[in-house]
Amino acid sequence: MGSINKQPQKLLHQTLRGYVGFAGLLLLLSIPFAYFLMQKLHVDDIDEALILRKKEFQAYHLPNFTLGEIPQWNKYNRDIKLIDTLQNLTKDSLLQQPFHDELDNEIEPYRVLYSPIRIEQKTFTLLVRQNLIENEDLIFNILGLYAGLLVLLLAGLFGLTQYFSRQLWKGFYDTLQQLETFELGKTDAPTFEETHIQEFERLNSVLQHLIQKSIAVFESQQEFIENASHELQTPLAVLQAKLDTFLQMPDLSQAQMQALDSLYDLLARLNRLNKNLLLLSKIDKLSFQNLENINLKTLIEKQVSFFEEQALQKNIRLEIDVLENVEIKTNHILIEIFVSNLLLNAIRHNHKNGLISISLKQNELQIGNTGQPFPLPENKLFRRFAKIDSSTQGNGLGLAIIKKIADLYRWSITYVMKNNLHTFTINFNKS
Amino acid sequence: MLRWYFSAIDNQKLPPMKLLLIEDENNLAKDISTYLSSSNIHCEWVNTLNLALEKISAYEYDCILLDLTLPDGNGITILKELKKQQKNEGIIIISAKDTLESRLEGLQLGADDYLTKPFHIAELLARVHAVIRRKQFAGNNRLIINELEIDLLAKTLKVNQKNIDLTKKEFDLLLYLIGNKNRVLPKSSLAEHLSGDMADMLDNHDFVYAHIKNLKKKLSQAGAKDYIKTIYGTGYKWEV
Repeated sequence: MGSINKQPQKLLHQTLRGYVGFAGLLLLLSIPFAYFLMQKLHVDDIDEALILRKKEFQAYHLPNFTLGEIPQWNKYNRDIKLIDTLQNLTKDSLLQQPFHDELDNEIEPYRVLYSPIRIEQKTFTLLVRQNLIENEDLIFNILGLYAGLLVLLLAGLFGLTQYFSRQLWKGFYDTLQQLETFELGKTDAPTFEETHIQEFERLNSVLQHLIQKSIAVFESQQEFIENASHELQTPLAVLQAKLDTFLQMPDLSQAQMQALDSLYDLLARLNRLNKNLLLLSKIDKLSFQNLENINLKTLIEKQVSFFEEQALQKNIRLEIDVLENVEIKTNHILIEIFVSNLLLNAIRHNHKNGLISISLKQNELQIGNTGQPFPLPENKLFRRFAKIDSSTQGNGLGLAIIKKIADLYRWSITYVMKNNLHTFTINFNKS
Repeated sequence: MLRWYFSAIDNQKLPPMKLLLIEDENNLAKDISTYLSSSNIHCEWVNTLNLALEKISAYEYDCILLDLTLPDGNGITILKELKKQQKNEGIIIISAKDTLESRLEGLQLGADDYLTKPFHIAELLARVHAVIRRKQFAGNNRLIINELEIDLLAKTLKVNQKNIDLTKKEFDLLLYLIGNKNRVLPKSSLAEHLSGDMADMLDNHDFVYAHIKNLKKKLSQAGAKDYIKTIYGTGYKWEV
C-alpha cells in the first residue's frame, strides 16, 4: 500500500522511467560534443573551400591580372577581394572574423583567408571569405534534432513497454486478478493459468501451495470450533438438567438458592458464548443459501418490539426513524442476528435513562446509543473477545459477529462518537 | 375419552401419561425422567436406536422424546419408522444440532417440536404438555383450578366466572407456571420460555419480574388466591 502522497506505480512504468531518464541524460550530455564536432567539421570544410578558391584565383585569374583591374574586381566580388598588403603577412592565414552585412544590416561571422599575392611586382593581399553558420542556428538545429530523437525514443519505449506488459506480464496479471477475488472460506482456491515464464511459474506454484495450506488450516480451525461447540453442548445440557433437579430439592436455604441463581447466570453466559462461537463458524456456510429480499423496516420493527422490554428495564428512550420499502437481498437468519446484535449492543452498553436512535435511509442503517462518555477504541472494537467495558455481561463476540456478517456481504460498517452517541453506520451498498 | 394433559390438576385420578425417552446421555436421561415422573408422566428410557425401535413397535406412547445422535445410528430413522407404521405419537426432538436443516428435516418427517440442547427441563415439560394437548384435545380444552378457569384454545382466563384480560406473555407465563406446578422455576428458564429463539441473546432476565408482577396483580385484583410464590429472588413457583 502506498502512502498518501506517493502512489505506487506499475513495475514497467518504473523501468520505463529509468530508460527515459537514461536516454534523456545521454542525449543532453552529448549536445555540446555534437555542437563542437559539427562546428569543427563545418569550419574545416569551409577552410578547404577557401583554399580551393585561392588556388582557383591563382590559376585562372592571376597570370593576366593587371593593377588597373583591381578596383573593378573588388567591385564585383564580394567574397574574394584584393586589398593592400597587410603587415607581416608572409604566408596564408585563416581566421574567424565578423563582418557587417549591409543587406541584412547585421554582423555575420565569417571565415577569412588572407594570402600574400604579387601582381606586377607589387605585393597585395588576397582576401577570401565565406559566411559561417551562426552559432545559434547550429544550436537550434541540434536541439531540434535531439528533441525529435527523444520523442521518437519515448514513443518507442512506451509502445514496447505496453507490448511487453501485455504479452510477457499476462501471466502475472492473471495471477494477481485471481488472488484479488479469492477469499478464504468463501471462494474456491484459484487455478492459475499456465505461463511460460519461469519466475511466474515459480510464483504460481508457491502461491498455490500457500493457498492450499491456508485453506487446510482455515477448515480445520472452523471444524475445531464447530466440533468443540457441539461437544460442549451435551455437558452443558447435563449441567442444566442437574441444576433444574437440584433446584427442586426441598429445604434449600436462601444461601443455597442464591448460589444456584448465580450458577444459572453463569450457565446462561456459557450457553450464549457457545452458541455465538458456533454461529461464527457457521456464518460462511449460511450465507450462500436462502437469499431472499428482506424488508428492513419490518425486520427492525419486529426486533425493536422484542428489545423494547429490555430497554424498558434501563428506562432507555427509543427514537426510531425508518424509511418504508427498504429491501436488501440477504439471508434472513443472518440479517436478524445482525440487527438484533446491534440493538442488544446498544442496550447493553447504555446507561439508565439513556437514548437509542435508529434511523434507516435508503441503503443506510444507523444505530446510535448513549453510553460511556468517551469514544471506544476502534481498532479493538470488532475483535473477538475484545471486551471494552468489563462491567457488562457481554462475551465480546457480539460485535465480532456483526463485523463478520458485514464483511460477508461487503457492507461497510463504521463507528463514530457523534453528539455523545456511539454511532454505528452500516452501508448496504456493496463496497 | 379425553385425558388431561395437566394430569393431576383437576383432581381426577387418571392413568399416567406414557412417555418414551430416547437419549444416550445417562445423566441427562435420569434427570429428565425424575422431573417428568413427578408430573404423573410415566417415563420409559432407552439409550440406543435398536432398543427404541423395539419399544415403538411393541407399545404405544403419548409422547416420544428423541435425541438425534445415538450410538448406533441417527434418530431420524425412528421418525421414518413411526411414519411407516402410521403411528400417531407426539414427538419432540431434543438435539445438540441446531442447524436449520436438521430442524426442518426433523419437522418435515413428522416431529412435533424441536428443542435444542441445553434446555431447561421445565421448558421440556411445557413442550410435552403442548404436544399432547395438540394431539389429544378434541374439543375440550378447558382447565379448571379452583377459582381459575383457563380456555387453552381461546387463550383466556376466568377468575370466579369473570374474564381477566391477560397479555400473550402473561398467559404463556401462567401456563408455564401451572404446567410445572409446585416446582421452583429459575428466572432464566422463564425468560427463555417467554423469549423463545431470542433467549440466548438476553443477558438481563429482569423483565420476567415485571411480567410476574403484572400477572400477580391481575390475579389478586380478580380475587384469586396468591398461587405464585417468589423464591429468594431465584425464581418463582406455582403452589397449589
